[in-house]
Amino acid sequence: MTSSAAPARLARVLAGRALQAVGVAVLVSGLCFLVVQRLPGDIAYRIAAGRYGYDLVDEQAVAGVRSELGLDQPAWQQLLHWLGDLVRLDFGRSLVTHQPVLSEVGYFLTGTLQLAAVALLLAVAIGAALGTAAARRPGGVVDRLTDLWVAGVRALPAFLLGLLLIVVLSVHLRWLPSAGQGGSTTIILPALTLALGLSGLFARVTRDAVVEVRRSDYVRFARTKGLGGRLVLLRHVVRNAAVVLVPYIGVQAVIIIEGVVVVEALFSWQGLGHALVHAVFWRDIPVLQASALVLALLVVAVNTLADLTVLWLDPRPRGQEALR
Amino acid sequence: MTVVMVVGLASGCGATRADDRGGDTLRVVGPFEIHSLEPTATSGFFTRLEVAETLVTADLEGNLAPGLASDWSPSQGGRTWTFELVPDVTFHDGTPLTPEAAVDSLETVRRDEASPLAAAPIEQIAATDTGLRFELSEPNLTLPAVLTHYSTMILAPAAYDDDDHVSELIGTGPYRIDRIELPASIEVTRFDDWRGTPPEIEKVSFQSVSRAESRALMATSDDADVVWHLEPAGRQKVEASDGVSMASTLQPRTIMLKVNNDHPILGDPDVRRALSMALDREAMAEAVLREPELAATQLMPPSLTTWSQPDLAPLEHDADGARQLLESAGWEADDDGVLTKDGEALRLNLLTYPDRPELPALATAIQASAKEVGIEIDVEVTNSSEIPVRHADDTLELALVARHFALVSDPLVTVAETFAPAGSEWGVQNWSDPQLTAAVDQLLTGPSEDRAEELRATIVTIAQEQLPLVPVAWYRMNAAVQDRVEGFVFDPLETSWHFSQVRWAS
Amino acid sequence: MTALAELALHPPARRSRAATVTRRICLAMLAGLVLFALVGPFVLADPAAQSLDRYLEGPSLTEPLGRDEYGRSVVSRLAHATRLSLLLAAACVGTALLLGTATGILAGWRGGLVDVALRSTSEVFVAMPALLVVLLVAASSPDGGVWTLYLGLALAQWVEYFRVVRSRSALLLGSPAVEAARLLGLGWPHVVRRHLWPDLRPLLVTLASLGMVTSILAMSTLGFVKVGLQPPRAELGLMITESFPFYDVAPWLSLAPVAVLFILTICFLSLRRTEDS
Repeated sequence: MTSSAAPARLARVLAGRALQAVGVAVLVSGLCFLVVQRLPGDIAYRIAAGRYGYDLVDEQAVAGVRSELGLDQPAWQQLLHWLGDLVRLDFGRSLVTHQPVLSEVGYFLTGTLQLAAVALLLAVAIGAALGTAAARRPGGVVDRLTDLWVAGVRALPAFLLGLLLIVVLSVHLRWLPSAGQGGSTTIILPALTLALGLSGLFARVTRDAVVEVRRSDYVRFARTKGLGGRLVLLRHVVRNAAVVLVPYIGVQAVIIIEGVVVVEALFSWQGLGHALVHAVFWRDIPVLQASALVLALLVVAVNTLADLTVLWLDPRPRGQEALR
Repeated sequence: MTVVMVVGLASGCGATRADDRGGDTLRVVGPFEIHSLEPTATSGFFTRLEVAETLVTADLEGNLAPGLASDWSPSQGGRTWTFELVPDVTFHDGTPLTPEAAVDSLETVRRDEASPLAAAPIEQIAATDTGLRFELSEPNLTLPAVLTHYSTMILAPAAYDDDDHVSELIGTGPYRIDRIELPASIEVTRFDDWRGTPPEIEKVSFQSVSRAESRALMATSDDADVVWHLEPAGRQKVEASDGVSMASTLQPRTIMLKVNNDHPILGDPDVRRALSMALDREAMAEAVLREPELAATQLMPPSLTTWSQPDLAPLEHDADGARQLLESAGWEADDDGVLTKDGEALRLNLLTYPDRPELPALATAIQASAKEVGIEIDVEVTNSSEIPVRHADDTLELALVARHFALVSDPLVTVAETFAPAGSEWGVQNWSDPQLTAAVDQLLTGPSEDRAEELRATIVTIAQEQLPLVPVAWYRMNAAVQDRVEGFVFDPLETSWHFSQVRWAS
Repeated sequence: MTALAELALHPPARRSRAATVTRRICLAMLAGLVLFALVGPFVLADPAAQSLDRYLEGPSLTEPLGRDEYGRSVVSRLAHATRLSLLLAAACVGTALLLGTATGILAGWRGGLVDVALRSTSEVFVAMPALLVVLLVAASSPDGGVWTLYLGLALAQWVEYFRVVRSRSALLLGSPAVEAARLLGLGWPHVVRRHLWPDLRPLLVTLASLGMVTSILAMSTLGFVKVGLQPPRAELGLMITESFPFYDVAPWLSLAPVAVLFILTICFLSLRRTEDS
């Protein structure tokens, strides 16, 4: 933070994001509530099925569930109840597992964050490497191939990419386990699936940034100054590329979160996406609301981080934050 | 088309890998998730892993065997039951198993409406000096069988929190919990103070993997030692690869059509028979289950030896016969080839659920079979709980369900519930037959073995003639087992997985 | 949000002959697929008709893509699936485009409170992963019907159009040219047609082609997670999921839907390039 306008900008960024977070929370709660109201089928039956397995679901079991969970209250009471609890950060207990929702969602969130972090690192690494290679000779063979790569990974849905990776790396080459969540190697495949999908964009951003920098005066300066100049150049390139790249990481957050849902289902990775799909299926309302909320807030959080990073890298005041 | 190239290249090579990936842990993988520690909601997980035990258990043939109770006996014609506890049993937390602890465990479960124990006519469970005494409101001979159900597992007093929910699973079995991460993974370790022969395998880990193709991959790529439930494509992969083989057993489970017998169309037994004749069960079993001999010829699978009736005339595929039956029942084809009667078309709605992947597949096959004889069926794949819901409000027409006939070790308990005159969620709907009801009631009073055999034959024969439930296929449970595992046994009742008897191949 | 990100990153402009050829090939392939999707369902076999004794039959002259695990005709299922994907995606994109453009122009034109309200709404939607919206909406439908998918996807996409249109139209509506037109008493239709539309058209075409990609991929993804359309309906994602277990014994099963999905996305992506300004 060097410029005097920085604190004011910081405050503006944070305030904007805070408002966004509140809006998201309201929207998600509203959507969840509508969903619950419109749910087909009898919620108590669903929960009983999720809890006991369908062989044991009969009218007595369902009556037990209904009275235990107070599902016979009117809808608005249930919503007010939940919002009240939310303000107190009390998410209640899962209807199916009886565990406190907070600890359950916390466990799933850890899984998702691990996965997303490894995926992002991999994506930036792959993207930066490809982009730098492509920038060496704009319009050359490598550049063309990178273009092809960018289009290719963009055109493959995450689940298809995952299936391909399983077939190649796990079944035929036998390098990596195909599913589960145990040793250190199990994270590689799901993270790689996410990372490949993201790498295309990073590659292109990096390429453009590097090409631009090489056209600029810095390069001439570096050539004349020898090794020390090279270092300056490197710092400059990295910094400039990062200024462009970081907002994209924010933009990509949404895609990561979407990808996570799919990839977790494919690789049986215990995370929020997996939890969400399950909660939808079993009508586990508290878990559904909490995991949807956390997923949406994650996007806001990542974007806030990206904003702050950009501020820190490049404190020059700018007009419209074009990229978000 | 890079995709094509990649796959083509990859299928050419298959590197080998060292065989000691699992170390000394038995790695088990299955489709089931553990949703909860509540005994009723564990789906039998902890009794199968031999962490917790029930008073009574069942052997591989389904006969009652001593669990935590060494013996039991009825008095007053079955109105009182006494169970003697095995002496000197310790829980995993070191506390002794006392009659009081056992009573508390059972009393907690009895309050859970979903447990079969809640339906038993129990007035009181009392602790005696060396065991438990059950006082019943009416004679009941199936109580020991009900006490084999996993929900009646006995847990230590410290397992429960203040509001009687299970917070920690402290049982008495040969394995104790090491680490639990609901819903997907569990690790257990040998319990050194176990009263029996110590198991050879020190650690067992369970991992839930919901996608069948992923499980098949884990089996063939040595990521797991025992993998439950593979689908046909996966089974072929396992059979074709070295170092792992398939094991399987017929389960006492029947896939059948639950029929609303009060329905204007399905109330006519001839329509039910026609529907049954329309089903090309062998082709379905061949295409969906890849095993033509799983085509059901009657309701009770051959694995239930006491119930299955080998002399019964089997259900057979006869499309022409089905058409004739429908014609004589007054159904005529209109200009579009749709069968109608009194201006109403022969259209039925069939519900099924995706929990067992073969069900939606069989449902579409049934749809195609029925169409051959002019019966239009709309398939609706939905959550399993929709079936009890529509049973309750009587809007159900047809449902394809998988019914396990040995939820507790004695099939009679489940059969009685399936054919309950008032109907049952996973059994008959709006159908009863006085002769069949009488036979079930008589069986419940414990007649002589010869008489019981007659009664069972009566029940199965009536069900075959009236078809209140239309059997479709039987069910085979399978697992892929690595060659390094020795002594793996398959329990058709899934009372236990018997890992305590498994050894490493030398 | 992918669209916005990619909008800002113009692909390296190559006006070479090779690029033109590639684009033409893409267009031709797309036209072929559309034709296949529109005509196929009328001339091919019933996609739900099973013949169980012929499961996993290989490709032949009558069935160029063989049969699936229930002996259903793969080529017919593929035609139906392609039609479903194209129509549903087009409907979603159309709805999102209309909604987004209308609100965008409204916000740019009225400014003030309307603008603030619409912008805050869009800010919230931006932070909502589309898949989450669709999942939640799909969860409330009894049978994972087409309608819920459509609603969810359209809801998730309108924001992109809104943001782009709003920022452009705010600029344009304040421009001297529009001022002059207003002074001359030319009505709104004229302003929209002569000033807004020419400027927005390339942007909207690009966004729409990307939106098609997003919708088609989202649909297949939902099919894969089993929230969305239900079997036995033919849908590309479902077809891929159902055929994956057989990838080694019957590769044509998986390759057909994968190829169609891939070609569709590549072609729509290449459409974007023709409109680079």
